[in-house]
Amino acid sequence: MNDFVFDDIEIAPPSVVKRTARDFAAALAETTQFKAFEQAADCFRQDQAAQQAMQAYEEKQISWRALLMLSALSAEQQAELDELHSAFVNRPVVAEYFKAQTEFAILCQTLGDALSESIGLNYAAACGVSCCG
Amino acid sequence: MQTVLSSQLQEATHLLIENLVASEVFIHYQRAQAHLNADSEAHALLDQLSQAQADLRKKQVNGGINQAEIDALRELQQKVQCNPIIMDDAQSQQEAINFLREINDEISQLLGINFATFANHATC
Repeated sequence: MNDFVFDDIEIAPPSVVKRTARDFAAALAETTQFKAFEQAADCFRQDQAAQQAMQAYEEKQISWRALLMLSALSAEQQAELDELHSAFVNRPVVAEYFKAQTEFAILCQTLGDALSESIGLNYAAACGVSCCG
Repeated sequence: MQTVLSSQLQEATHLLIENLVASEVFIHYQRAQAHLNADSEAHALLDQLSQAQADLRKKQVNGGINQAEIDALRELQQKVQCNPIIMDDAQSQQEAINFLREINDEISQLLGINFATFANHATC
């Protein structure tokens, strides 16, 4: 990096960039989308029936993982899995959580796009996020 | 759907971008990119390597790679690694990525979620 001359540019030290990152996070935390997401996540965590419905669905998914990967579930198995999925996602607290999560993600994507465009790197990809998060 | 940002969030985003772009690692990265874009020899070398890798992948699928082709690819890889403009670009990009990850950690720590995960558009 010593080969470059920065005389004509005012460099922002890392501590300053990190402070503006924290200010950015604080502003994001004040948005209605983040507050709604936090509240919905809290309700979801505290709803025992929703947690049990999620656990039942996830446990079945795990036990049938190999069959799912091969798309080899029988019609009965598929129906059972669909029923567990519906019982989970149709709970009001879960639906509210997913809605709040989507709305917050849309906001974060808008901000991520603005960052990516300005810095010349894909923000999420640079931070090691793949398609599966 | 257009997302409306509060003036506070707009200002905070603007300041973050302004400071990121003015950080030493990003200035270095931008200059390295500019040098690379202006160097036709480096560009040609990268194009050749990319083409050779694609050709070899195709041949690998058909099971028809010979030693001469592997040697030719290694030679191209060596040339790329010996090109200071390409290597400076690669190194500066990695430094920018490392710094960006530190910035994302700062943001995520305060929010209690990984901001980059939420900012990601792609789904499986």
